[in-house]
Amino acid sequence: MRGGAWPSVWLMRAVVVVAVLVSLLAGVPEGYQPPAVLVAVLTAGALLAGFRPEHLVLSITLGAVVAWWALQLRGELPAAALVAAAAIIVAHTAATVLGYGPPALPVDPALGILWSLRAAMSWTAALAVWAVGRAYTGHGSPAAFWIAGLAAAVVGAVVAGMAAPLRAEEPRE
Amino acid sequence: MTEPASRWNVTGSLARALTIGGVGIAVALAMGRPAVVVLVAPLLVAGALGVVHRPTREPRVFNGLAHRQLHEGQGTRARLEAMDANDVEHVTRAMAPQPYVAMHPADGTVGQLVGPDHVIEPIEVSPRRWGRRMIGAEKVALTTAWGGYRWGPTSLPGRDVAVLPTRSHYRSGGEAPAPIGLIGAHRSRRDGDGTEFSSIRRFHPGDRLRRINWRVSLRHGNLHVESTRAEEDTAVLLIVDALADFGRSEGVGGAESSLDVSVRAAAALADQYVGGGDRVSLRVLSPGGEYAGYGTGTRHLRRIQIVLSRIRPGIPRDVAIDQIDFRTPAGTVVVVISPMLSESLATATVRLVRRGLPVIVVDPLPPDTTPTAYPDAEEEVASLAWRMRLLDRSHLLARLSAAGCPVVPWNGPRTLEEVLRRLARRGPLPRVGGA
Repeated sequence: MRGGAWPSVWLMRAVVVVAVLVSLLAGVPEGYQPPAVLVAVLTAGALLAGFRPEHLVLSITLGAVVAWWALQLRGELPAAALVAAAAIIVAHTAATVLGYGPPALPVDPALGILWSLRAAMSWTAALAVWAVGRAYTGHGSPAAFWIAGLAAAVVGAVVAGMAAPLRAEEPRE
Repeated sequence: MTEPASRWNVTGSLARALTIGGVGIAVALAMGRPAVVVLVAPLLVAGALGVVHRPTREPRVFNGLAHRQLHEGQGTRARLEAMDANDVEHVTRAMAPQPYVAMHPADGTVGQLVGPDHVIEPIEVSPRRWGRRMIGAEKVALTTAWGGYRWGPTSLPGRDVAVLPTRSHYRSGGEAPAPIGLIGAHRSRRDGDGTEFSSIRRFHPGDRLRRINWRVSLRHGNLHVESTRAEEDTAVLLIVDALADFGRSEGVGGAESSLDVSVRAAAALADQYVGGGDRVSLRVLSPGGEYAGYGTGTRHLRRIQIVLSRIRPGIPRDVAIDQIDFRTPAGTVVVVISPMLSESLATATVRLVRRGLPVIVVDPLPPDTTPTAYPDAEEEVASLAWRMRLLDRSHLLARLSAAGCPVVPWNGPRTLEEVLRRLARRGPLPRVGGA
């Protein structure tokens, strides 16, 4: 244990920081360059989130990333959005894993694998939305029309998932 | 051990996923940004699945230890049981570190995915020093699938465990100087029903036929028998000086303080003599005045070990040490385990010697003991004071030796063997005057 935390915990903290930076800088190759001040502020937020994974600071940091993308992209759907979506869910997942216990708790490999699979599964939702969005781009219908459709589909799927019982209720003793 | 009051709460993870996801969708709709839906869709899915697995019942958790009494260095398992835990996917346990208690894992923190059988791996704990130890206090947190809800962390209390001194299974070959009892393993000065050969003498009425030595009887023309020594027990009084504790204690296997050596020596001697069928008593010189009367057998040995585990060092306030009646019947072997840094105890020891009792002083002071001084004391002054105390001590030890009381440093269970042999040889000799 170094610095009061296990190497696996330090690794997860690093993943949080790197994932936040990747989510912000994913569009650089396509010309979406964030200002240096924003990068610095969000790096500081990510660092803090690595040490306080349950704190509101990661929500603010990821929210700022989403806001920046919302300002940069209008109707377009670049591949960078998929990379940014992956980085956002990775940052969220790493913080979730860190939140399972104190820094003295090493990351259980089984838990790490489980959450990696969950993150990958969640990211497929971004892939599906992106594919549908790309398919409908340029069809001539107003953008708000199909965005509303996408959002309704995502929210509908989520609500349906929440309402439908995934597990059989066990009888109370 | 107990069921604490706690409840399920939304985790930061679920709150984050739903907040960013919801706000993202709203922004996408309001501003017409399809890319934002792409960015927040995974968070919404993760959050939704967290909500889907919301708990439906309150779990109950119980912790406990497999043992209530342990010897130093022995280990036990701190178990955790969770009931109504069908909603639980992961359990986190953080056990509070305690002095002289080793844990595995070393920091006492474990996290584990809970399977369908709800079996939670125990934490191994091992007390490293005798005494009363609070073991097993921990914090427990339970988490549902997809990390949506957490129960706790909630504190579970530990259990007060009596940590007994280490055991030694050594049986001494040393004989008691003056055995006086009826049963036991010490060779008596008189003949009787023992196993050790004493002499061959003429047959007396009442002698057992199987004792007849036929070869000698044929040679002499009349019956001769082999006589044997009787075997008797003795009374042993162990006096443990717990007026102060000198030196550093690191627990079993590490550096020992004077009180560590005293307690472990007393436990080893009690084990040795009780195992030999002798009657053993224990008297502790401490504020608690712990005492165990004369007795034999395994239960009595356990009682002595428990008394030893309760020792708290200090000076007794209600009794003068040189006035204590140690309740020593004639022939009792007295073993005083003391660093002899108290003149009153030395006086009491000399008084016992003058009563004609075989008294042995076992010195538990580790050779490299450094002075224990107040934090604001000057190091040189403390060192000088300690040297003066050691000089006083050497004078006391010399006085005791001159009074006929052997002083031996503790060197394991064999320490008293040679001393007792010398005392046994000296015992039958006529003595002129008192020491």
